[in-house]
Amino acid sequence: MIWQFDFLILALGVICALASISLKDLLSAAIVFGAYSFLMCLLWTEMGAVDVAFTEAAVGAGVSTVFFLAAVFHTSRIVQPRRRGRMLHKLVGLAAATGIGILLISATADFPNWANPNSPASTHLSPFYITETIPLTGVPNIVTSVLADFRGFDTMFETAVIFVAGLAVVSILGRYGRRLRDYEPSPVGEDVAHQSPIIQAACRIFVPFMQLFALYVVAHGHHSPGGGFQGGVILGASFILVAISYDLRVMQRRLQERRAMLFSSLGVLIYSGIGALCLLMGANFLDYSILHTILPATSPIMARSHGMLGVEVGVALTVMSIMVIIYVNVASYGKSDRGL
Amino acid sequence: MISPEQYPVLIVVIPLLSAFLISILGGMDKRFCYPATLLALGGSLAAAVATLCLVADHGIIHYRMGGWAPPFGIEYVVDYLNALVLVVVVFVAFMAAIASKVSVEEELPHKIPQFYTLFVLLTTGLLGMTITGDAFNLYVLMEIAALTNYALIAMGRKRALMASFNYVVIGTMGACFYLLGVGHLYIMTGSLNMADILNILPHLYGTNAILVAAILMLMGAWIKMAFFPMHGWLPNAYTYAPSATSSLVAPLMTKVSVYIMIRVMFSVLGAVYVFKVLPVKELIVWLATAAIIAGSLFALAQKDFKKMLTYLIVAEVGYMVGGVWLATAQGITGAILHIVNDAVMTLCLFLFAAIVVHKTKGHQLSNLQGLFKKMPITMAAFAVGALSMIGVPPTAGFFSKWYLILGGIDAGQWQFVVALLFSSLVNAVLFFRIFEIAYYEPESAQHGHGESVAIDEAPLSMLLPLVVVAITIILLGLYSGEIVTTFIQHAVPAGI
Repeated sequence: MIWQFDFLILALGVICALASISLKDLLSAAIVFGAYSFLMCLLWTEMGAVDVAFTEAAVGAGVSTVFFLAAVFHTSRIVQPRRRGRMLHKLVGLAAATGIGILLISATADFPNWANPNSPASTHLSPFYITETIPLTGVPNIVTSVLADFRGFDTMFETAVIFVAGLAVVSILGRYGRRLRDYEPSPVGEDVAHQSPIIQAACRIFVPFMQLFALYVVAHGHHSPGGGFQGGVILGASFILVAISYDLRVMQRRLQERRAMLFSSLGVLIYSGIGALCLLMGANFLDYSILHTILPATSPIMARSHGMLGVEVGVALTVMSIMVIIYVNVASYGKSDRGL
Repeated sequence: MISPEQYPVLIVVIPLLSAFLISILGGMDKRFCYPATLLALGGSLAAAVATLCLVADHGIIHYRMGGWAPPFGIEYVVDYLNALVLVVVVFVAFMAAIASKVSVEEELPHKIPQFYTLFVLLTTGLLGMTITGDAFNLYVLMEIAALTNYALIAMGRKRALMASFNYVVIGTMGACFYLLGVGHLYIMTGSLNMADILNILPHLYGTNAILVAAILMLMGAWIKMAFFPMHGWLPNAYTYAPSATSSLVAPLMTKVSVYIMIRVMFSVLGAVYVFKVLPVKELIVWLATAAIIAGSLFALAQKDFKKMLTYLIVAEVGYMVGGVWLATAQGITGAILHIVNDAVMTLCLFLFAAIVVHKTKGHQLSNLQGLFKKMPITMAAFAVGALSMIGVPPTAGFFSKWYLILGGIDAGQWQFVVALLFSSLVNAVLFFRIFEIAYYEPESAQHGHGESVAIDEAPLSMLLPLVVVAITIILLGLYSGEIVTTFIQHAVPAGI
């Protein structure tokens, strides 16, 4: 921990946060917000939370910036000035924010110091996780074992949250199944001038490596930072990259929106299905150790490790397809046409 | 066969798995969605009732997710309080699902699979929030319930989008407050398990961090339940939502949030802390009083039937919050009983509203003209719900209000008692005005008096749940003594 470095990151983060809420140009605001996410990612790496930093880099600085850009593209780039000055609203907002800020700062006085080994968080549950993870689950990455086994039930619902987010976008914007009566040409002309051969060639070279890396992240989540969420986002991002460098149609030839919807349900179904399988075999829900009776050549402990791999695959499938679904719907305003 | 120890988890797992199956199979053939939804919620209801019986016979049930002992893993705890709330939640969802068939086909013909997937997931979220014994798991399920809720509301007509967006902004702040509160508790105690936190907290009661955690968690619950003056998002969101959505969320969202408030107060922070250490209980009863009076007055001013009902919800939230913070056994009993009763009463009124929207294509008060002659059974069932809202014995609403009034007298909080009586009076005015419109005013001015009107009842799939709910209201009233002695009196914390 180098406090000068942390201080610099934190200061830059605050500047980015303030800039992104005060910029009138939404495109710049989205980009500055991406920078903010990246600074947060650095801060988390500094704290040693590499898995979280990885997710923040992939989701916060990566795809969510693309989603914001697509949304800005279809709505308005410049914030419209309000005609009536709402001084009262602003004052009430300022007072509420200040009040909560004072509350939060007043609480920090009671907190243990940063990285204090005697803090409750380090002494209460952590020793158990640190000493027992390998004997009980056979997984070297403690974060993965906490995320996918000890608290795997939370992670199952987190995956369901991602699924719901995609489904919500589809149910609000999506028009498949409906006649495209109000079909209008997309804002950017359909001319080929936007299709740069350099970008396309770069994309063609880039995508296979991205996908390979994503699969590595999913499969190697037990041993190193990473796992289903990060791998799924990178996989989804590879499809989004195709959609940006070519257009949505080209991407949809590889992964149709309907099929993505199917995959997204399937992913969460794999996760909850593994849980339910344990239940049907007589153990508690998500108690993977019982799976050793059907998995060949495993002990109850290795069965936990394999069970985690199974659910991580489910997570990756859902996250990948939902990233694609959200991008397709936001970028094409629900029409699934050529997109941006 | 599945052993009884697994019943608690089945309440959540059955609808969870079914939601994804509905999404997959419903995408292929949308006729599959409705029966699958009924099966899922029916299965969950059976598991919830079985769990309720287990709790009544053997006491509190603990269930370890993944076989890990708490506080290392997540546990489900079914005690006398949430066993009851679980049955209410899934019963309401089941009835709302039965009634949804016609209105979904009519209002959302292109989005049937999405609707039912979200509907079942929303129910899963509410059930998961109710059953869990882990403070962070509660937050995850809160996210599920909230996101599905935003989407289900936004599926309504034009104004629903804006209403839903307001709800997204405010609701996210509520969830964020709750999460920050849990974060503070984790930093201070190192645990996320509710029972574990409750054990560790007493030696930290004096610290500022715990005070902030308590404020944040309670604020989160209050925003989520639309406690006055944080109710701004509710009326429009529930008014412009599709009928089938409002029949599910209007009775449940606020009630489950009240349950969460009670859970946070008694099972995380501890009754001693919230009533003895925090010097705020009188202030909050005053706020609840304001909620009841403001909600009732706003309801009086409405011309839109559905919007009037939404303001009544704001008033009812005041009943329950006030009842809990009276800090007397009677008041807390009344508040918990009112969670049960109000969920069923509100369901009755919103099922009726769905029928009105289906039959007359609108939800203004003027749409109710002449309905007594056209739909006698529907109106009779609605009348039961309305009388229960007013608090006429032997309907359920009377008994919970009775406990609340007794609690108010015990605590010497007379302003709360006055507000309860005032709200009953306003409800009487409102509902008798509706009876008058529906009974005396002919459908339109052109029709002459004495003209016979053909009976035009609601479709069976909407009528049946409404009648069942009306009968339930009367049964809940008749058996309220048993409910209190078997369940609620064990849920009231000792020594207050």
